[in-house]
Amino acid sequence: MRFDFLSEQEVEQVHQATLAILKQIGIHTTSPRFKSLLLNSGCLEQGDRIVFPAEVVEKALSTAPKEFKVYGRDDSRVLEFGKSKAYTQTCVGTPSVMDLDSGEKRDVQLKDLEDYVRLADALEFIDVVSPIFPRDVPQEVIVSAETVAMLRNTTKPLRICAESSHEMKYIVEILAAVVGGKEVLMDRPLAYIEVSPLSPLEYGFDPAEALMDIVEAGLPLGVIPCPMMGSTGPMTLIGCVAQHNAEILAGVVASQLLKPGSPVIMSPRVTFMDMRSGVGLWAMPEMGMAAAASIQLARYYGIPSTATGYSGTSKLADAQSGYEHLYNALMPALIGTDVLAAAGSLDNVLTSCFAMLVMDNELSSVVQRTIKGTEVSEEKLAVDVIAEVIETHENFLAHKHTRKYLRAGELWNPPLSDRQTFEKWAVKGEKIEEKARLKAKELLASHQVEPLSAEVDAELKQILQRAQEHAQHGGGVIQKT
Amino acid sequence: MSNFNELAESVISGNFGRVKEITQEMINKGVEPLQIINDGLIAGMNVVGVRFKAEDMFVPEVMMSAKAMAGGMELVKPLIAETEMPSVGTVVLGTVKGDLHDIGKSLVAMILESGGFKVINLGTDIAPEGFIKAIREHKPQIVGMSALLTTTMLNMKATIELLKEEGLRDQVKVIIGGAPVSQSFAEEIGADGYGSDAMVAKDLCIKLVGKAS
Repeated sequence: MRFDFLSEQEVEQVHQATLAILKQIGIHTTSPRFKSLLLNSGCLEQGDRIVFPAEVVEKALSTAPKEFKVYGRDDSRVLEFGKSKAYTQTCVGTPSVMDLDSGEKRDVQLKDLEDYVRLADALEFIDVVSPIFPRDVPQEVIVSAETVAMLRNTTKPLRICAESSHEMKYIVEILAAVVGGKEVLMDRPLAYIEVSPLSPLEYGFDPAEALMDIVEAGLPLGVIPCPMMGSTGPMTLIGCVAQHNAEILAGVVASQLLKPGSPVIMSPRVTFMDMRSGVGLWAMPEMGMAAAASIQLARYYGIPSTATGYSGTSKLADAQSGYEHLYNALMPALIGTDVLAAAGSLDNVLTSCFAMLVMDNELSSVVQRTIKGTEVSEEKLAVDVIAEVIETHENFLAHKHTRKYLRAGELWNPPLSDRQTFEKWAVKGEKIEEKARLKAKELLASHQVEPLSAEVDAELKQILQRAQEHAQHGGGVIQKT
Repeated sequence: MSNFNELAESVISGNFGRVKEITQEMINKGVEPLQIINDGLIAGMNVVGVRFKAEDMFVPEVMMSAKAMAGGMELVKPLIAETEMPSVGTVVLGTVKGDLHDIGKSLVAMILESGGFKVINLGTDIAPEGFIKAIREHKPQIVGMSALLTTTMLNMKATIELLKEEGLRDQVKVIIGGAPVSQSFAEEIGADGYGSDAMVAKDLCIKLVGKAS
């Protein structure tokens, strides 16, 4: 199955525009380390900017791997990047959560993070776990603490966001402790780690340094800037996609200059500003359309990709969230992406919601079913079967072809949707969001996660303690500038 | 009188060149500077404010109007004493330490300026000490802090703590904004207010300086 958003000629046009942006405008960085990496490898200094000759870009694109894997601590949980399977990832970093009992929005606590990760572990069509943002953990070691909490509550692969580099050492230690050493971690990465440079075309100190640390640690890197159409990128969708493509490729190129062949992921996130209020929107249809265009570029380069699929502006798990999330997820999925992010999110990815995660599990199931397409074969075209049924004056229900393919999974089985007759439904008269909420409660009451071994758990505790001591002795003020 | 109307209209349509032209003509003719400001420039901007609130005008259009008004102001300013300049109040704004996100905070600056505030925009990645220095220098009624990252929003608290240590907390109102922050966060860190968008921030500032909108 293959869908296109842009024609081949249009893809080429956007690619050429991208090369022009990189060659004529380039990027700015405040990291001397990042700057010398680029300048020592063929990029050029132009005023206070660094520009990328086309040959440097093309060469880097040719060394970036087309496929690689990210593992869960459970061996059966593997992400095969480069195969366009539209895995679903929980939303990262939301400061708020909808309380499962009261339905009120409130700050995320560590307990919520643990519960949320455990729910994601229980849901069949949620494939990658990312942390929501707890307030009651030491903020100077926040990412390390989140990573430990995730490892304790899921066996699925992780996606981590590094907003600065000061915790990278401990994050790598934590992952290595679980998988059995740093060498093993390079072969079996338990996470991919993403950095978010600023739009337009700005590699600030923290993301630039973190990017290099991730590549040096041998972990898959994701490059995820986030421009807004009309404010930090051009107003036009395709103009914003081109600028965004350039700022992502700058990171891709840097990763390949540092270590040719190192795994890298393009993670486009073109959002837009509500021009009536200035608020950043992760809404449809622009978000889904821009993701489709950006993902087609990643496909053109043969570089694995992610997109924000499950996002919208609704403040509740409701009908609006349902259609927004499905639209924004399906668009890039149809073009062919590896991961769709932000599952369970509400309100422009600022709030996480247990019920919405259960609803997105359903959407993930149908999106993944859709992109599998349908096999066209003589057996499946079933001309003989049609003839037999007509000749025998029977119906298809009685034919063995029906039983065979029914059992083989020809029909999608909704994990959540209601398909009862009206009369049966009317007994409870339940809305989907309420059903989702109850399912979340049920799963949280029953689902148990394979625990870490006592030794590994103790080691994680020690690493966290060391990270914190280091931070308290001035090694890591809240933010390194 | 028609000239004032044209000046106001030019502010509304965001015609920077025309605003400067008319303002200069008026100055040359000896029109009272304060009248140019009140009946022309601010009169136009007031209409813009109303239309923006009514969602008849978009952010980039308001920005052009604000720029046009500022162009006129620049010509008039040297002609009047600082103390006579009509101002609703002074606001120091900045994005907190470790955070380079600029656009939301600059939008607030623009909306505040167009609402008659004097705004000192410190820029991004401003350490607590940077806010303190600016408060001592500019003596604002309000300090506004912005953050986009969950990892940097805690620096708002650090700034408020330093304000207390330096004995400045009672001299200014503190407001915060940015995607990850909320009213409850504002209360938790001891800020005086939270603006969920730029217009709310303006209304909040007006309320905090005690002047009717």
